[in-house]
Amino acid sequence: MQTSNLAFQPPAEEAAPYLLPDGSTLFAGRAERFAALAGGHSLGDWLAFLGRLSRAQHDALQALPELPLPDAARLAQAKTHAMPPLDASAPPAAWRDALRRIAGQLAADAPAAARRALEALAAADDAWLDRLATGLLAGEAAAEDAAELPFVAAALQVVFTQLAGRLDASALQPLDAAGVCPCCGSAPVASIVRIGSAIANLRYLHCSLCNTEWNVPRAVCTACGGDKDVALHEIEGGGQPVRAETCDSCQSYLKIVYQDKDPQVDPVADDLATLALDLLVDEAGYQRSGPNLLLIGAQGE
Amino acid sequence: MNMNRRQFFRVCSAGLGGSSIALMGFSPNAALAEVRTFKLARATETRNICPYCSVSCGVLIYSTGDKSKNAPAEIIHIEGDPDNPVNRGTLCPKGAGLRDMIQSQNRLKWPEVREAGSSEWKRISWMEAFDRIAKHMKADRDANFVAQNEAGVTVNRWTSTAFLASSAAPNEAGYLTVKTIRALGMTSIDTQARI
Repeated sequence: MQTSNLAFQPPAEEAAPYLLPDGSTLFAGRAERFAALAGGHSLGDWLAFLGRLSRAQHDALQALPELPLPDAARLAQAKTHAMPPLDASAPPAAWRDALRRIAGQLAADAPAAARRALEALAAADDAWLDRLATGLLAGEAAAEDAAELPFVAAALQVVFTQLAGRLDASALQPLDAAGVCPCCGSAPVASIVRIGSAIANLRYLHCSLCNTEWNVPRAVCTACGGDKDVALHEIEGGGQPVRAETCDSCQSYLKIVYQDKDPQVDPVADDLATLALDLLVDEAGYQRSGPNLLLIGAQGE
Repeated sequence: MNMNRRQFFRVCSAGLGGSSIALMGFSPNAALAEVRTFKLARATETRNICPYCSVSCGVLIYSTGDKSKNAPAEIIHIEGDPDNPVNRGTLCPKGAGLRDMIQSQNRLKWPEVREAGSSEWKRISWMEAFDRIAKHMKADRDANFVAQNEAGVTVNRWTSTAFLASSAAPNEAGYLTVKTIRALGMTSIDTQARI
């Protein structure tokens, strides 16, 4: 019998462990997703407004001058000590320009309460704005600032998204701290299971601040790394491409969105369009393990 | 009042009324009323290895049923594990049909015997099955064991029975299988993992 060698072919491209944000499309895509989710939704007005906020983020990012990246010494230091290359506790001053631009663009088209917050932000001095940003980035914001903070977060997302998008993905590495963004060290907003040739069905965590995505194995708790007690919760008969991934070991949860169920899903927009899932999973006793910076002060008490 | 980190992440029913949604001028009441009509559905997600062949593809298994609530577990979906470096999320047609194999009405779950001359399969216990297999093996080995060949060289071989080992066995079980079978003098040994 004649035999011939099978033609084994290695994969054409390796799956990327880190997906850096593309500033030219990211916020515009999110704006469209918010607008699509708003139709017929019980929080439709709010989601449509956040869509306009995302559009303003897109415009602010396009208008943003190229910010200086960390210098070589700082990058080398971060590499040596497995620290994130971007320092999320010290936003570049340009974030305030982005905020004022967003505030100016949105104010005309906002409900009265939001307009008051936007006008206050547009007129505010640098010291107050920096105090708001520092509290927000430290995860210790004051509840009475909840009307202003989502706009502050939106502006910070703009500057950090530009910075992260210009980093060298091949120089990134896993950090000592588990479950935080390899670019800026912030907590993730949600997971996304991607479609695509090399990254099909792989799960990426999506940074709540700089929109970087990093690969984490599926069926593993993103907060504690355990794989014994991971479960998926969804709203019965909801048909949404979003589930809550819970872990009974550490009693935490984070949402996971599936691109193969809807190619347009966005981790930030779909997270806020499924608050009902948060409320039910919270009642079941799980603690959310990452923030959505466009919703502040929903903790109760 | 400053929130701590855990509160900062939290989203709960009691919180929406004082959250940025309400403070920006939007009403969360319709959403809060709607939640009362919703119910959570739960599925567990587990990693495993396909039992069929030596490639040992990774699979993700989804099942319903919560052990603590006394509901019987049922597998609802099986797919290739995208994180597994062997199959990268893919499965062959046999592997893709795993769920049907597990839930098949015809799946063999206990030892059965069809006696000579009978047309019926009869369920027997595991101990009875081991006894019967051992008796068959001993009878065949006693009849066909070759201690020395024609030239008078000691060979101690038993060529009339063969052994097919499991593909799901780990290295340690594979080692013990070969030790046991070779000790009996059996020369023909193969594994399902090659098939």
